Amino acid sequence: MGEELGRWAEPGLLVLTSLAEGAKHGYAITMDVAEQAGVTLGPGTLYAALQRLEQRGLIEGLPAEGRRRPYRLTAAGAAELSAQAERMRRLATLSLDRLQVRPT
Amino acid sequence: MSSDARLVRALVGCYPPVWRRRYGEEYAQLLCDMQVHRRPRLVADSLLGAARAHGGALMSGRPSFALPVWAAALFAAAGIGFAKLAEDLSGVATTAHAAVIVAAAVALLALAVAAAPAAAALVPGRAADAWRYVAVPIVGAAAWCGVARVAAAATAGRTVHSGPNIAAFALIAVTGLGVLAATAWAATRILQRVPLAGPGRLRGSAVTAMATGMAGATFAVLVWGLRVRATDAAAFHSDQGLLATPFVSSWLAVLIALCAASVLGAVAARHHRTAP
Repeated sequence: MGEELGRWAEPGLLVLTSLAEGAKHGYAITMDVAEQAGVTLGPGTLYAALQRLEQRGLIEGLPAEGRRRPYRLTAAGAAELSAQAERMRRLATLSLDRLQVRPT
Repeated sequence: MSSDARLVRALVGCYPPVWRRRYGEEYAQLLCDMQVHRRPRLVADSLLGAARAHGGALMSGRPSFALPVWAAALFAAAGIGFAKLAEDLSGVATTAHAAVIVAAAVALLALAVAAAPAAAALVPGRAADAWRYVAVPIVGAAAWCGVARVAAAATAGRTVHSGPNIAAFALIAVTGLGVLAATAWAATRILQRVPLAGPGRLRGSAVTAMATGMAGATFAVLVWGLRVRATDAAAFHSDQGLLATPFVSSWLAVLIALCAASVLGAVAARHHRTAP
C-alpha cells in the first residue's frame, strides 16, 4: 500500500498524520503508520522526518519517558497538516469528478 | 555486551555527534524496539539516515564554507592534473586551453572574494586560535617540496615510464593531494572560528560565480580534449608524460573530478543563495 500512496506517503506527512491523534514516541509512530497507512517507516527515515519537522516547528519533543521521547503536533504542525489534507482532498475530488465524466 | 547491543551502538555511532547528543538515546531505544538486528532493511535504512544526517550537518545552520572550500580543493587537484596533462601538448587547442585558464581564474578569484570578509576578520585577531591552522598549508607545501626534491633526485636519469619514476610520480601526487586535503580542512576550521562577515548577497553571488567558473572550466576541458583529438590524433598514442600517454583515461579522470567540483560548487551556491 505504501508504494500505492506515492508522494502522499512522504514520511513527514505520515508522521504529522500519526501525531494528529496524540503524542507518540518513535516506535508508536512506526506502528501506527504501518497499521493505518501500510507504510513501514525505517528508523533512519523516521528520525530524518522527526528532525526536519522539529526544526520547522511543526512538532515538538516532550520530556523523555525513560529512553523514549514522545512527540506532539504543534499549532503550526496542525495548520500545515490541515492545509495539506485540504489540498489532497481538493485534488482527490477533482480527480474523481474528471474520471466520472471521462468519455469511455 | 550482546551482538544486538553492539549493532545498535554501531548504528547510532554512524550519526554525527551533534545528532547523537540530541536523538541518540531515543534512537537506540527505537532500534531495540524495532528489533533491527533481525531486519537487514532497517539496518540499511539507518545507515542511509546517518548519511543524510551527515549531509544535513554540512548543509544546516548558517551557510557553511565547507562545501565551497572542498569544491575548490577538488577543482585545484583536477586543475593540476589538467596542467600536467596539457604540458606536453602545447600549441594544440590553444583557445580552449586559454578558456580553461580564464574560467579557473574566475572560479578561484570568486572564492577569494567570498572568503575575503572571513580573512579580514582573522587579521585583527578576533579568532586567535584560528591562526594555528594557517600553518597547515605552509608546512604542507614545504613538506611537499621536500618530497618532490627527494623523489626527483632519486629518479634522476631514469626514463619517464621506468618503475622508479612512476613510483616517485605516485608519491608526489599522493603527497600533493594530501596537502590539498589538509589545506581544505584547515580552511574550513578557520572559517568555522571566524564570524561570517560581509553581506550575504555578496557571498551568495561570489559562490555562484565560483560555481559558474568551475562549470565553465569543465566545459572548456571537454572541448579542449575533443579538439586535441581532432587536431592531433597521435596525442592518444604517443609516449609522452605519465598523464599524457594514457590520454583518454587521464582526460576523463580530470573531467570527472572537474564535474564533481562543479556539482559541489553548484550545491554550495544554491545553499548560499537560499540561506537567510
